[in-house]
Amino acid sequence: MSVKVKLFGDLKKKSPQQTENIGAPTILTIENTGIERVMDVINKLSIEESEVSHIFVNHKYSGFRKSVKAGDTVALFPTNMSLLYKWYYPVDNE
Amino acid sequence: MPKKILRVNMTNLETKYEDVPEAYAVAGGRGLTSAIVAAEVPPDCHPLGPSAKLVFAPGLVTGTKAPSCGRISVGGKSPLTGGIKEANAGTNFAHAIAKLRIAAIIVEGQAKGGDYHLLKINKDGAELINANKWAGKGLYDTYKQILGEFGDKVNVCGAGIAAEIGGTMSGVCFSDPEGLPSRYAGRGGLGAVMASRGLKFIVADDTDAPGVEIANQEVFSAGIKKLVNALAAHDVTKPGGGLSSFGTAVLVNIINEAGGLPQRNFSAGSDDRSANISGETKAEEIKKRGGVRPHACNTGCVIRCSEVWVNPKGKEPVGVLEYESVWALGANCGIYNLDDVGELNRACNDLGVDTIEAGDTLAVAMEGGLADFGDGKGALKLLEEIRKKSPLGRIIANGTEFTGRALGVWRIPTVKGQGLPAYDPRAIKGIGVTYATTPMGADHTAGYAIATEIMGIGGQADPRDTKKSDLSRNLQLATAAIDASGYCLFIAFAVLDIPEGLEGVVESINGVYGTSLTVNDIGPIGQGIIDTELKFNKAAGFTTADDRLPEFLRTEPVPPTNEVFDVPDDEIDKVWGS
Repeated sequence: MSVKVKLFGDLKKKSPQQTENIGAPTILTIENTGIERVMDVINKLSIEESEVSHIFVNHKYSGFRKSVKAGDTVALFPTNMSLLYKWYYPVDNE
Repeated sequence: MPKKILRVNMTNLETKYEDVPEAYAVAGGRGLTSAIVAAEVPPDCHPLGPSAKLVFAPGLVTGTKAPSCGRISVGGKSPLTGGIKEANAGTNFAHAIAKLRIAAIIVEGQAKGGDYHLLKINKDGAELINANKWAGKGLYDTYKQILGEFGDKVNVCGAGIAAEIGGTMSGVCFSDPEGLPSRYAGRGGLGAVMASRGLKFIVADDTDAPGVEIANQEVFSAGIKKLVNALAAHDVTKPGGGLSSFGTAVLVNIINEAGGLPQRNFSAGSDDRSANISGETKAEEIKKRGGVRPHACNTGCVIRCSEVWVNPKGKEPVGVLEYESVWALGANCGIYNLDDVGELNRACNDLGVDTIEAGDTLAVAMEGGLADFGDGKGALKLLEEIRKKSPLGRIIANGTEFTGRALGVWRIPTVKGQGLPAYDPRAIKGIGVTYATTPMGADHTAGYAIATEIMGIGGQADPRDTKKSDLSRNLQLATAAIDASGYCLFIAFAVLDIPEGLEGVVESINGVYGTSLTVNDIGPIGQGIIDTELKFNKAAGFTTADDRLPEFLRTEPVPPTNEVFDVPDDEIDKVWGS
């Protein structure tokens, strides 16, 4: 079973695999073994928490502690893309 | 020489400079336009009739060396919403008016005989010149000709063809540094208020202008230093940061991922093809084609989120393709091609219309069967009907609500008659409360501001736990205050995270006016502005029944989140305590 990870902006550099369309995310499929939360996903990809701004799990605004299970989609944006009206977004960290 | 108010009487074609009343001594931008509109415009007047007025006011620090402060507010009674309206734009026109020591321009009356005029303002005064030769002409050619006639250093403001037919989607258009008609105080049909006075253009020439008087240079300099440092340090606002690298359309991929980027007239909140019109894609294309990115929309902006988009051959410069425009004319119409979006945006600029209202209107027209979703050429044809002033063009020029009714479409995304911006309120409910309650009609910028706990307004609670009514109110108050300051709303990203930046904002205002405001005064200043606007709207006939989102957003789940807008009415009504 696996988890789909979408890397946007500068975080795309964290993947050896690149997309042709510069505006589209790099999409990775990673095994969910050892993955319980978003923080496990970023560890697996050697991404630091300080490099990440917005996180969406299945389109829901989430935190690093948000649980991740097989079949989920985790989208990660870099710090220079932290443009959300963040006060409008409740963070799901469960 | 103290600042003056320039009053322009279009009925007898007279201009005069008046002293600034004491009550307006420390008022600017939205604070001043809303105060003057409330004092001088009857709330029950017709927005295009003889009693209507149009007011321009640069912000409190506009025209100074403060960073990113080139905003000008335009106010009046909106023909689109029927309520009070303030729309603002970033442009060197704002700096020029402030440097000429004009606190506000009040345009009143109506020219006789259907004539159009141009108001020329420079250090020697103001004069009205016949402008009939530019009636019915597109703004790209017209601005080029005006710059040719008055000199390429002047700044231009104008109303386009849509305004000539009283179109409620017409905006007030300002020139960018290249002279392109691309900086809009777009929302609410204020272009039609201008044209219905018989005023088509304003030319501002700040050659040898006295400049803005600074009461305390030391305090001012210390303040702007703090703000510059904050803007230069923050990942979003610094050179090479998100806004300068990708522009505001950096939000396309983010909001798409949040399930809140409305697709095909608000029938979905996400589509993978949105990446084709994202800020990242656009920045790359501009590099290839030879446009300009990053770009400052006005002198002294250090954020530089703007750009000049060009066609595939590197020609026909459009100006900026903002996030809202790319969404409205792109994803919301099922169009995922930047060339089509660029062409539509150019048509909007040329015709003098608000891109958000235009995109909402086109999507409703598509739902009504006038074109297929995704048909960029068909959408362009519909917009071009405005140029012909055909019956269909007149329907389109009157916006989303009017077009929906004309076509029997019931899924009409408006609040108080104004089309919704690029955030689906089912996926992002907090902004839905702001759409419902702002005196402006559905407006994303009305609640775009600084965190509650940093501003110290409305308590110290974690903003994410704040009830939606408290959150929306606090954001709206803070935004109203920023709209009065002349600073761009995007400074909020930096001053949100770096408290010294916010102190710098307040200190810069104190430096200009010799006041002793503190960060704690921001909330009450915003409250004063909003109270004035709410009072006007109440007198114009608005009730809480107008503070509602349309039925389909409350009943139709939006994929992929499958949410509906379910904030209860009593929670919405708590925003303004009714």
